[in-house]
This record gives sequence, structure tokens and C-alpha cells, in this order.
Amino acid sequence: MNLLNSSISKINKLYKDKELKPSEVYEQVFNNAALSESIIHAHLKLFQEECIEASKLSDERFAKGKQLSQLDGIPIAIKDNINLKNHETTCSSKMLSNYVSPYDATVISKLRNSGVVFTGKTNLDEFAMGSSTENSAFGPTKNPWNPEYVPGGSSGGSAAVVSVGSALASLGSDTGGSIRQPASFCGVVGFKPTYGTVSRYGLVAFASSLDQIGPITNSVEDAKLMFNSIKGHDPLDATSIVDTSIEIPDDKTAKVGVIKELMEDGISEESKNEVEKTIKLLEEEGNKVVEVSLPLTKVALSIYYLIAPAECSANLSRFDGVRYGSREAGETSYQMMENTRAEGFGEEVKKRILLGTYALSAGYYDAYYGQALKARSLITNDFENIFQDVDYLISPTTPTPAFKFGEKTENPLEMYMSDLCTIPANLAGLPAISIPTGLSSKNMPLSIQLMSPARTDSSLLKFSEKLENLISFDQRAPLLKEMK
Amino acid sequence: MKKDIDIKSVAKLAAINLSENEEKKLEKDLNIILEHVEALSKMNIDDEEISIHPLGETLNLREDISSEFLTHDEAMSNSPETEEGHFVVPPSLD
Amino acid sequence: MNMIPTIGMETHVELNTNSKMFCNCPVVETEDPNISLCPTCLGLPGALPVPNYKAIESITMLALSVNCSITNNGMFHRKNYFYPDLPKNYQISQFDLPVGVNGSLEIILDESTETVEIERVHMEEDTGKSIHKGSGRIDSATSTLLDFNRSGVPLVEIVTKPVIKSSREAISYIEELRQLVIDLGISEGKLEKGNLRFDANISVAKQGDKELGVKVEIKNMNSLRSLEKAIDFEIKRQTKLIESNKEIIQETRHWDEGKEVTSSMRSKEGSADYRYFSDPDLPNMILTDEFINNIKKMIPTLPSEKRNKLTETGLSMSESNHLGKSEVWIYDLYLETQKLTNDSKATYNLITGELQGQLRKAEIENIPEWVNSERLSEIIKMINDKKISFTSGKEILTNLIQNEINPTVFAESNNLIQENDFDEISKIVKDVIEANKEIVQRINDGEEKLVGFLVGQVIKSSDGNINPSIAKELLLKEL
Repeated sequence: MNLLNSSISKINKLYKDKELKPSEVYEQVFNNAALSESIIHAHLKLFQEECIEASKLSDERFAKGKQLSQLDGIPIAIKDNINLKNHETTCSSKMLSNYVSPYDATVISKLRNSGVVFTGKTNLDEFAMGSSTENSAFGPTKNPWNPEYVPGGSSGGSAAVVSVGSALASLGSDTGGSIRQPASFCGVVGFKPTYGTVSRYGLVAFASSLDQIGPITNSVEDAKLMFNSIKGHDPLDATSIVDTSIEIPDDKTAKVGVIKELMEDGISEESKNEVEKTIKLLEEEGNKVVEVSLPLTKVALSIYYLIAPAECSANLSRFDGVRYGSREAGETSYQMMENTRAEGFGEEVKKRILLGTYALSAGYYDAYYGQALKARSLITNDFENIFQDVDYLISPTTPTPAFKFGEKTENPLEMYMSDLCTIPANLAGLPAISIPTGLSSKNMPLSIQLMSPARTDSSLLKFSEKLENLISFDQRAPLLKEMK
Repeated sequence: MKKDIDIKSVAKLAAINLSENEEKKLEKDLNIILEHVEALSKMNIDDEEISIHPLGETLNLREDISSEFLTHDEAMSNSPETEEGHFVVPPSLD
Repeated sequence: MNMIPTIGMETHVELNTNSKMFCNCPVVETEDPNISLCPTCLGLPGALPVPNYKAIESITMLALSVNCSITNNGMFHRKNYFYPDLPKNYQISQFDLPVGVNGSLEIILDESTETVEIERVHMEEDTGKSIHKGSGRIDSATSTLLDFNRSGVPLVEIVTKPVIKSSREAISYIEELRQLVIDLGISEGKLEKGNLRFDANISVAKQGDKELGVKVEIKNMNSLRSLEKAIDFEIKRQTKLIESNKEIIQETRHWDEGKEVTSSMRSKEGSADYRYFSDPDLPNMILTDEFINNIKKMIPTLPSEKRNKLTETGLSMSESNHLGKSEVWIYDLYLETQKLTNDSKATYNLITGELQGQLRKAEIENIPEWVNSERLSEIIKMINDKKISFTSGKEILTNLIQNEINPTVFAESNNLIQENDFDEISKIVKDVIEANKEIVQRINDGEEKLVGFLVGQVIKSSDGNINPSIAKELLLKEL
């Protein structure tokens, strides 16, 4: 059976009906990895032996009818900026190339208790900073649809493994679009939950007020299953919220807003087209679609590129060679730290740390970071106003489909522009999901993004599932056909 | 606030020992980015009380209960250099 | 040229909570390094802070006790600087929205009180400890060893306005603050253990100058004695510089205990840019009026309140200060007893002088419940009425500590009641003079010392219960 088109819930049913065993599924998943890794390099580590063990134990549980959850025996890959106890957590950086975590992230504990089989750690842009996975210190990941193209970033590895079937689902992290954009480029589903619904304890912090962990999956239903398993208030994370989910009534049809500013220049015709096509489908089902305006969209990039670097400049200060990680020589401890950080960090990371340090420094705080914080709350207010009138928002996930390697590395602004559509949801803490819709003229995946008010995650997922059915995109990466 | 960035002093604050080449490239890139964010810095926005949490949540404190987490060995397990149970670094001033 | 010194004190108080400020690790006192750690206080990647309720309770109590206004909407800030004993290379602290602002603390100077204005009271976390190896001196170390057990322990920082005028005042301030945190039960206040640490900011200016002089920060004073010496030295140093028209550099200086001087620390280029910004891991901390009022109710009687109550009974400032610092049960016992006796001095002396001393000697930790104000006041009244001598009073007390006795009954049955009757004593005096004619002669010839001998004889001849001062008086009359 071809697992790659299967959903977690389908496979779980097969497990329960004893038509399939977790160890069999893992074997297929591992074969896909063996075939694809040399081409796409999505994993930093594969845990073959552990997985054989873990899936065998899962076999036994199902045999006795004692499965732990719907995720029991499901092979899931983890982005390498999430701590997995007794395993390396490198964040794709030389700084942490030999760092072994002494603890589990909260999401990992939850998934462990659900019986998940952790297949390995996936590649990312160093410290989650980037939109193409080209910033990994251990080599880039290639897009399974066409290895000349980037898989997106920073969760490029996590998106690629799902796309190619070397995991049934994966966890990524999203600060400015790092789950949704690579999911979009790789033709799979990527979901960023409401800020605070999933614990950040154990996620190596990039920008604390923007980061969220979320699932990358083959279907919206799978994303829902994953989200339900990892969400929840965590006493170890002071920013995690109590589960006060808000429902959007779905008895009637929905009212959907198209964000005008994200359908203008800067967005490719093909990407705009996907949104138009989707709007037609929604209208045919009786939903109302109107145009809305978010004028601050244009300045959202600037806000993000001040807040994120400022927060990361402090979050990455702990990497100094004192207690863990790589260390360079130095006559004094300060010199040792300076040299360690010079050697351990890549260029993009250094750039953002310096930008953030500058934005916070004496004399510049008010104009830059302080200003960005104020502007951010304006965006949150704008969204709240728009949601008085509409239930959901639709936009392209990205301005263009995947680009080629090296295409956007010259001008610092060009790469940042690919986050245009995804950043607003991070700034306002809103849930957002990317759903694949079609292929470009170059046979690269296209997608649309849906957003909804804060805390309405389950409604958004429900609505997205309906939309996914209407869209009915079921293409897979050509690489898979080659691999068969 | 448009001023060219003094990359050397910022690098000092950030404790990163940049090479000359790096200094040049980073200075150039950062100035491009700063020019781009200039529009934001010129916006006239009212002063309001800032909410730190994006959803406006407030802080929940925790009970003063102690519990153990890492063993000594776990805590030291990634240390580049140890001596008698301590982390060791080159001498620090002040 | 009359130079006026101005001093501001920055004090850090270690709170005695069970767990650290931002994690559940136990606060430990141990020689073993690095045994109380978790991802948060060790600064591991992915760790997050969650503040300790008890610490916030304690700091609010302290801020209220020094008359601060409490900030309803507080915030934590990151103070960024690189140093090996600071795991995240930023310290979670508070910048422009500290828990308490604009307070005051009453201190004792000589026999009166002064008020020291307090700028702010804020919450922060402690760093790890560094041990410099090598010759032992900070500037010729070969390596530094780090122990992070202390990293993350809750610290309250109290900053005064620059209003302190002398080293004596500074000491008094620290002593007062120390007593306060002990009385509040939020810290052990032991200087030698580092529960209370302080830095001083010192400047001098010419008398009449409107502006303060250049401020110099002095660190590394580990005792009250070194605080005193350091301040005095620094005032002298700055005065000399100004008098010889030299500039005072704004810097941080280190108190050298051995050489007894302040010296320049290896200068950091420029003044530090801490790049304070609100910590995105910690949402706004709302302290409601209800919370604040509940804390107010928890505050015990403060040292200054105790002192006032005591001076009202007639004790001097230093007596009140001393008694105010004693354990609460002694303070209460004094007040009750003084009400009954109406004699503050005698009550003070008996309780702090005799009672405490005797309890200590007998190694009794908890005073027996029958040693109460009624019985103590009985003893004091007997002494004041001259029914018994002070020495007899002490003897009764000793017995009272051991047994539940009635002081009057005890005095009577043990023959401690003094004879005070002048006529009775006169008789005995006359008898003694008769029996010691030679001694009397010698006294009249000038050997005044021998009066004591005769007094002794008078007392001896009646089983020792004669009031000795009356005896002496009458003897001298006769002689």
C-alpha cells in the first residue's frame, strides 16, 4: 500500500483493524529515507535502531488493544531546534554540533506519552533564521519536487520529509512563516497555532514573542490530530495560555476576507491565481467572500525585522562556550566568548544578532525597537477590527512558489520579502495554515493561506478541512515516483 | 535616525569577534536593512501601555515548591572543560 | 573649603524562598558545586523562566514596609551583558517599572532618628559564583572556576536616593534594613553568608554647591567595618583631589580589604550599555489592590514601630533600638511588665540584663510560661519598695526560671525580706558600734575603708536581711 497518500487517521484505523503494523510502516518510511536522503538531505540524524525498537513496542500495544493514542506507532520527524533528551540538538549550527540535550521539550514529552515513533532530527536554517534552509551549517536541504529549488525555511527539512514520505508528519517551528512557507514550497500542509497554545519549553528560542511549534502534515486532518496532541497550558512556559478555545459557529456558511494588500504588486500572478481559484470554490459553496484592507501590511516586514532580531540578539547570548557547545581559545573569558561566537555562528545569524543589538542599544531603542512594539499593537488592533466583519482571511502563503538555490542570497531584503504574507499572523499571534492547491508552470507547488482570530484554532482547522476537500489537491513530488 | 551603523562597537556589545571582511559585508547589509525600516521609525504612533504578550495575557506566578531536575553529571555533561565539579573558563576580569 | 559628602546605597537582599526565582530548583547552602541546576538556571537552549510567587510576596512586603508605592502593572526586563557567571548573558531584572518606588526608611543616628529616602525596590535573579584560580588575586588568575548553584536565587535590590551624609549614617541604614528583612521573615540577613550585599555611590561637593559631585561606585565591601572604612577613605580621596584641583573620574572602584584603599578596577570601555528591553518570556505582572492589601495584613510590627512604642514608655533611643531588635517575646514581655510596674528602666534592666543572661546561662531556649509579666513585676515592685535587695531579686529570678514559684512567698520563706525599719536597724547599729570600739576609733582617725566592714557586721548580725544602704546611713550618722 502506498503510505504516502495516507493520513494518520487512516493508518491508525489499519493498525486497530490489525491490517497493518507500526513496524511495517516504519520500515517503509525508513526505506523512503534511505532512497531520498542522498538527494534531498532533509535529516541531520536518523534514529533507525531506536525506531525499530519503538515501533516493535507499538506493535505489541496494538496487538493487545492497548494503544496509547491515535498517534501511537506513527513515525514523526522533529526539527533540530527542539530538544530531544539524550540526542543532539544542533539547530543546524556549528555552535551546537556536539550538544546533547539533557531534557525533553514539553511537546516531545507529550508525543512520547502518545506512543509516537521519533524518526530523527531534520535540517533547518541555522537557529531558525532564514527562508530557504540555505543557512544550515551542515548543508542545505533540497526540494523533493525539484532538487534545484529550495524547500523553503526555516523548517525546510521538516517539510521535505513529509513531502517525500520519510516521515508521516513532522514538527516545525514558525516565527515569521517558517512552518507555512516550507510547507507551501513542498506541497504539504503546515499549521502555525495561536501564540501560546503550544508550549515553547524546549524549543530553542529565536524570537520569544513570535515563535510557535506546529505540525507539517499530509492533510489538514493530520495537522488537527497533531495539534490536539501537543497543545495545552504548560506551567514551565509563562507565555503559554490556558486552553480557552473560541468557536466560530459553522452552522451557516462563512464570510471570508481577501487581504487586498497581499494581492498586489510583489505577489506573482500564479500565486494570486490560486487565491482567485479558491475564492471561486468558496463562493460556489455559498460562502461570502469580500475584499478587506490591512494597510499596515507594508510596514509589517519592518516591524518583524526589528522585533525578531532584537529578541534573538538576547536569546542567542547564552551561546558563549562556557557551559556547553563549541569553544574557541582565548586569553580571557571575554576573548574566548568573542572567538567562540565568531567561529560558531553563520553569517545570517551574526547579521540578525548585530541588527538586534543595534536596535536595542542606547540612543536607538525608541526609534527602532520601541517603535516596532507600538506599531505591532496597531496591527493586532487592525486584525481585531477586520474580524468583526469576517470569520476567516485568505491570502497567498508566499509571494512566489519555491525559488532556486542562490537566487535570493545577494540582497538581504529579497529573502526577507518572501515572508510578506506570513509575518502578520506571527505579529498578531493568530493561527494560520497553508494548504497546497496546485502546481506552477514549473511544476512547483502552489498554496493558499487561511487565518482566523486568536484562539479559534479548532474552527480554523475544521474550515480548512472542508476547503481542502473542495480543492482536492493530491499530487506528490516526482522524486517519489523515481524512488519507487 | 538615519545614521550609518558603527559595526565595530555593535560587534563588541554582541561579543562577536568579526573579521575585517565580515565587518565590511555586514555593515553594508545592515545599512540596507536599516534604510528599509526608516519609514517605520518615522511613523507617528501614540504612546500606549505595551502588552508584552501578543494576546494580552498577564503573568501567572508559580508556587514556591522546590524539586530537583538535573543531576550534577547531567548538568556538566556538555561542559567543554571541568575541574573538581566546576565549569572552567579562561580568567574573567572584574 | 567645606566638602559635603553625598552617599547612595545599593543593597541586594537574598530571599529565603524554597526555590529559585525563575525555576523550581532548591535554594541550597552547600560546598558541592553545580548540584542544584535545571535548564532554566543553567541557561540551556530552549529553557524558559517562570517567576516565584513567594518572592513577589516578599518583595511587595518589603516595599510596603519602606513606604513605597507599589506598581500595579509591573514588568521584567533583560539586562544584557556578557560575563561567565551569568548563564544567559543577560540578567532578568526590572528597569522602569520596579515593584516599589519612592519610599523611606527610618534609621537611628545618635539618640534620634533620620529618614533615608528610597528610590526603588526591584526584583532580579542572582548570578553564579566565580573562583579565580592562580595567585588568588583577581588580576593574575590563570583560570576561573564556575559554580551555578546560586544562579537564579531571588534577589531584591533596594536603591536609596543620594541622601546619606556619612559612613555612620550608611552603617545605621544597613543595620536598619538588615533588621527589617529579618523581622519580615524574608531573609536571614547574614552578611557573612552574603544574604545582604551592598555597594556605595559616593561623591563630594563644596558646601553651597547646588549640584552633586562626580559619582564613584565602590564595590567589594563585605562587612559593616569595611563599609565604614571604604566610605571614609573615598571621601578623603575625593576631597584631596578636589582640593588640588584634580578631576574625579566617574568609575567603579574596588575596596581592597588588605591595603585598606579603594582602587580602580580594570576599566571597561565607556559606561555599560545594558540594552534593557521588556522580557518577552514574561507577560505583564499585574499586582492588584487586593493582592497588595493582603500583603499589608501580613506585615508584622516593624522595627521603627517597635522603637516608637518603647521610647514612649521612657526608654532611651539606644535602649529602644536594642530591645526592638530582640525576639518578639522579649519585646512583648517588656511592654506587659512595664505597664504593671510603670518603671521602664527597672523593667528593661531586669529583662534584658538579668533574665536574658540567666536564660542563656541555664541554656534554656524557650522561656517557661510561668515566667510572666505578673511575676516579674512582683519582683520589680519588691525591689523598688526596698523590700528586697537587688541581689535578692536576682536570686528569686533564678529560682523562678527553674520552678513555678510565687516571688513574694519565696522571698518570705527564704528570709529575703529586708529589714527597713530605721529603729530596728538603729538598735543593731548601736550594738555593732559597741562591739567594735577599736574599729570605730580607727575610722574616726581616717580609715574610712573600715566603714564597709562595720556594715558587713550589721548585716551579719541579723542573718543578712538588713537593707545595706540604710545600715550604712545610720552607721555614718552614729560615727
